[in-house]
Amino acid sequence: MSMHGVPRGITNPPQPISPAAAAQAEEQHAGAQTPGTLVLVFVFLAAFMLYYFVNWKLLSFLWRIG
Amino acid sequence: MNGQFRTCPVTGRQIHAQAESLIKVNAVAATVALLIGGITAVLVLLTRWQVVHLLPATWFYRLLTIHGMTMLIFFILFFEMAILYFASAVLLNSRVATPRLGWVSFWLMVLGAVMVEWNMFTGKADVLFTSYVPLKANSWYYLGVILFAVGALLVVGIFFGTLVIAKREKTYTGSMPLVTFGAATAAIIAVITLGHGAAIYIPTYLWSLGVIKSVDPELYRLVWWGLGHSSQQINVAAMVSVWYLLGALTIGSVVLNEKVSRSAFVLYVLFISMASAHHLLVDPGFGPAWKVWNTSYAMYLAVLASMVHGFTVPAGLELGQRLRGLTKGLFEWLRKAPWDDPAFSSMIFSIIIFGFVGGITGVTFGTEQINIIAHNTLRVPGHFHATVVAGTALAFMGLTYYVIPLIFRKQVAFWPLAKLQPYLFAGGMLLFSVAMTFAGTFGVPRRHYDISFTQAPFDIEFSPAVDVVMAIMAIGGLLAAVGGGIYILVTVWSVFFGKPLELGGKRI
Repeated sequence: MSMHGVPRGITNPPQPISPAAAAQAEEQHAGAQTPGTLVLVFVFLAAFMLYYFVNWKLLSFLWRIG
Repeated sequence: MNGQFRTCPVTGRQIHAQAESLIKVNAVAATVALLIGGITAVLVLLTRWQVVHLLPATWFYRLLTIHGMTMLIFFILFFEMAILYFASAVLLNSRVATPRLGWVSFWLMVLGAVMVEWNMFTGKADVLFTSYVPLKANSWYYLGVILFAVGALLVVGIFFGTLVIAKREKTYTGSMPLVTFGAATAAIIAVITLGHGAAIYIPTYLWSLGVIKSVDPELYRLVWWGLGHSSQQINVAAMVSVWYLLGALTIGSVVLNEKVSRSAFVLYVLFISMASAHHLLVDPGFGPAWKVWNTSYAMYLAVLASMVHGFTVPAGLELGQRLRGLTKGLFEWLRKAPWDDPAFSSMIFSIIIFGFVGGITGVTFGTEQINIIAHNTLRVPGHFHATVVAGTALAFMGLTYYVIPLIFRKQVAFWPLAKLQPYLFAGGMLLFSVAMTFAGTFGVPRRHYDISFTQAPFDIEFSPAVDVVMAIMAIGGLLAAVGGGIYILVTVWSVFFGKPLELGGKRI
């Protein structure tokens, strides 16, 4: 619960991470530790590829070869 | 140790009084610059929106010059000076090296900024942000820029001095914190940037005085972009540091891999200046080998750094949340994040818009062949408003919501408005940037007073879709301006008229 006029990170700072949870996480590789971010990375990659290739297509309309 | 310290009751850090004062004055100066830059932004926007077409041509170009200089140089750099003091003295529990010089630097920057603003407002420097020669401004304009840059360079020196003091006086243990490391890379890029600035503004100043006959326009463009682009990379390094900081402050994110994050910061230092070449991709004076080497090789290594941070920052947030028990499904960690904390929402929107809009468009334009269809169109400002405004400025705004209670020791005023502000600003900037990019795709030029070309001897017709896209751009810009206005209201009110911070019923 945030206090009026003070961000939650000050009134209710994040709880310390238990050493057991940290140790368990260290055994996994980064992708397994953060599956949500991994999905976001692929969404980003798809957006990147789409925009990049659309631009080459646009360029091909302007610079016709042959 | 010299000087007075106080212990922050929230973080437990030792805060040097001089560091605190220097952070405060630089933050206030940044906000004043943001106000000037914001007002000019609205006036420029309402002129570019052809339906309104508010200003006459002279004032359009004048205010566009003022908007560019005030936002890209004065607002951002004053804020970054505050970040340098914060990342060195505050995060390392250290005193500031030579605080008196810090004050001299600050006033030098203020003097330089006032000189530049005065010359721009009085019509003696209608040269746009790039001030490409042979466009000539009043010599006081160039002198103002030089003084501002010298002031900033001195602060960078003080930052490095503070790092040395902290190390020597053992105010921290272990390796330097990641946020300070990121700020150090920003400071190194600042030295490179300001070096380029000196190399080009000093001869241009002498040219404006009549001491030298001319400045080669091509050489000017080459060296100037070493300043113009690299200065934006100070922003990127500072912004990424702020992402790491806000992640830790808001939800206790963890650093996935220190070495990877630090190596990514080093990539910025090594390659970002060379990426300045992408501004010159259609310049006929430079050869293709030079262009391709600098953009399709060096620039991609700097982009790689941003992509590394684009993974490690959200991954650190996710891991931090998962380690605290939010493990359900793919996105519980994100759903249950503190979305009502304006610093958190600012950070997330900054990451998304910077990466998805600013990053993708920037890398695409950095390709030589594609650049030919994007250069000098509205796609370019569409790109950099997504990076600098929705990325850097929004991250800095988010940080402010912690600086007000932790440094100014005040409650954030108009709290419900403050919580709404990042949503308005980010939503507006997203609409604005995407619409600008679309308008540019239809060939709408940038830096142009009248795209209907009234009274011109030729006729250019754009697709009818342009009218719709420009209207969306205007709506987005106005929404963002409201968000920016709320930010200024909240910060100014909090700092000057705000209630003192109380925690547990005790005044801090």
